[in-house]
Amino acid sequence: MPDLFTKIALQHYLIVGALMFSIGMIGFMCRRNLIIMFLCSELMFQGCAINFVAFGAYWGKLSGQAFVIFILALAAAEAALALAIIVLLFRQKHTVDSQAFRELRG
Amino acid sequence: MQFVIEHSYLIPLLPLIGAIIAGLFGAKMLKGQSHWPIWAGVGASALMAIVLLLGMLGHSTPPIPGAPPAINHAIERMIPQTNHLQTYSSHWFNWIVAGDDSFQFKAAAGAFIDPLTAVMLAVVCGIGFLITVFAAGYMKGEAGYFRFFAYLGLFIFSMTCLVMGDNLIMLYLGWEGVGLCSYLLIGYYYDKPAAREAAKKAFIVNRIGDFGFAIGILLIFYCFGTVSYFGDGVGTGTGFIEMAMNGKFRTGIDLTLAAQLLSIIPFALMLGAFGKSAQFPLYVWLPDAMEGPTPVSALIHAATMVTAGVYMLTRLSTLFVGNHAAMVTIAVVGAFTAILAGSIALKQNDLKRVFAYSTVSQLGFMFVGVGVLNPVAAIFHLVTHAFFKALLFLSSGVVMHATGGELDLRKMSGMRKVLPITNVLILMGCLALSGFPLFSGFWSKDEIVHSAGSRSAVLYIVLLVTALFTAYYTFRLYFRVFQGPKHVPAPDEGQHDAEHDAAVQHTQHEHNHEPMLMILPLVVLALGAIFAGMINLPFNAGMPAHSLGHFLGQSPSFAYGYQVAEKAYGVGTVDTAGFGQIAHDTNAVGEFNVAPLVIGGVVALLGIGLAFFLHLANRKQGDALSHKLAGIGHALEQKYWVDEIYQWFIIEPLRLIGRLLGFIDRFVVDGVVFLAGLIPQLAGYALKFSTQRGYLQGYALSMMLGLAVILLWVLI
Repeated sequence: MPDLFTKIALQHYLIVGALMFSIGMIGFMCRRNLIIMFLCSELMFQGCAINFVAFGAYWGKLSGQAFVIFILALAAAEAALALAIIVLLFRQKHTVDSQAFRELRG
Repeated sequence: MQFVIEHSYLIPLLPLIGAIIAGLFGAKMLKGQSHWPIWAGVGASALMAIVLLLGMLGHSTPPIPGAPPAINHAIERMIPQTNHLQTYSSHWFNWIVAGDDSFQFKAAAGAFIDPLTAVMLAVVCGIGFLITVFAAGYMKGEAGYFRFFAYLGLFIFSMTCLVMGDNLIMLYLGWEGVGLCSYLLIGYYYDKPAAREAAKKAFIVNRIGDFGFAIGILLIFYCFGTVSYFGDGVGTGTGFIEMAMNGKFRTGIDLTLAAQLLSIIPFALMLGAFGKSAQFPLYVWLPDAMEGPTPVSALIHAATMVTAGVYMLTRLSTLFVGNHAAMVTIAVVGAFTAILAGSIALKQNDLKRVFAYSTVSQLGFMFVGVGVLNPVAAIFHLVTHAFFKALLFLSSGVVMHATGGELDLRKMSGMRKVLPITNVLILMGCLALSGFPLFSGFWSKDEIVHSAGSRSAVLYIVLLVTALFTAYYTFRLYFRVFQGPKHVPAPDEGQHDAEHDAAVQHTQHEHNHEPMLMILPLVVLALGAIFAGMINLPFNAGMPAHSLGHFLGQSPSFAYGYQVAEKAYGVGTVDTAGFGQIAHDTNAVGEFNVAPLVIGGVVALLGIGLAFFLHLANRKQGDALSHKLAGIGHALEQKYWVDEIYQWFIIEPLRLIGRLLGFIDRFVVDGVVFLAGLIPQLAGYALKFSTQRGYLQGYALSMMLGLAVILLWVLI
């Protein structure tokens, strides 16, 4: 049995991170519901976070994990703000379809 | 005196500080007391200037009266060179330094003090102080009282910089500074359209002259590599005056080119002098400048600023006297201006305008003095003229004060009954101006006329005729206004200008038309008008003859000017007294020529007599005569239509060109610029409608594609 299937190594984490990022990216581009799009962007975010933690553990340094703590705090603040904006947009047009807000292009 | 030389910077600085205090705190805090800082500043400067003058006179080495020239030369040889040329310099700070050692432009702020500076400083600060005292009485109750005094302080600052500076840049600073103050003070009553127009005219006409002056300075720097008069000191040969005398130029310049430029420099500088000192063809601003308050007319447009041109010509005489064409031009322009302005003054009916044209005419005399190689007489006339013309202007200010701004001499008569003291004072001024024997103007004017006569008969006749005109118009004014049956225009009569509304109210409340504050300075000036001629008597009267001349002769500008003139005209042909030098062969000291004095006196008496006959004894006949000569009279009254000629031949064509250029600018140049601006604007619109469409997914896709491209770039 190759190592790849017996032991969880750095590659596995990186594959998971890349998958999460790709799923998020595809979802962001394919879906028009603002809430789903927001969730997809969170998914991309966390994909990156996994990379940080994985590399931090691989090199035996804590800086990667410390960075992720900041990312999580930032994501929480951003979530509060983004969801509030979505609620306000919904109140305007009773829809969360991103196409409905094209006039914001300026 | 040592103190004054060590602290020479105080002379310009104190009036400037006074001006700053009056300007900053005058509006809200000082108000009617705004004259105090200026009195203090200018008074202190005047004191310093007089101490300086007396001190330098004390160090002066006048030749022994009556002694043969050989003895006087021996005395001169015994006294060290520095004592013969009295100069002091003090360096304040380095103002502008540019370039490296091989070719450096350096303008220091510093004082160069020699007899010429001392005389000019005493005139500027002394008469300036008297006029600020007078102005406090005259301007009482005016709206911009503090503004007026702040400008006066600034003016004295600029003028002292002008006469004290040790290089051309300081001279230019003062030159422009006095021009600015003149502009501000002519436009003092800025709500009066005529005053605004006059201020602009003065400024613009002076620009033409200053352009020439600036070119002259640049050429001097180009030729000599320095703008300092005497560089590291008199006798070191590092300043451009000494370099010009020795025929040297800066290293590395093409000598033939330098020689050509050197012959242009006097004409460029001359243009500046013609503008500032109101000579033909740039004299037109001075008569209009009378729109300013009367103390300003007295200080700036009669006694001090307009003499800056004469000062410049004498200070830089080494550059001029070697150039025959330049000297002839100066003399001819001066004489032509003298007779032109003198004849216009014959028929003017406004008191101040008569004096204004008279000032132009007298300045013409000074230019003739410089032009016929007698700068001493020019400076002498400058000093006496400062006294009597300031006196005349201030006296007409008293008349305005009493009549509520009336200046038309046809509307008043017999003012001696209302203004008894002024009557006596203005009579002194008129006698001095007309050259009545033994008054100051008599001595100084005759010296110029005599020198002119020794050069050219035409100049001599022109100046004599002008002297006749001078005596006539002066006394026409005096007899019309102060003598004859009493007729005083009530303050309500005549035109009501903004200038004198305040004065009118003032006179209605107070019946004293001659307040002490205004009369005292006049008395001092009148004493000057009577006795200032004593300073350069052509014969011994208790003091050496030509005292002023010998004093000025210790100025390097005069001494070197003489050497250059002697080189250019030949030894023995140049009048030594004209440069304040001691004669080589003849016993010029104590020489006393009666004939020119008698002729001058007779001419003055003739003019006065004519005026007496036509304007006092027999006014009806005088009026009838002027009716007969209506054609000439009209031309004189309209000032030979010079203003109109300028309007149609210079101003209107220029305006037409301006309009044309404006059209080109608006539609051709601006059109191209506008088209260039249109390109990014159009591109922006195109991008806006093609790419920025509002689909979030589209933006995301383009971001990702961009990212992919960058990744590829990095990886491959």
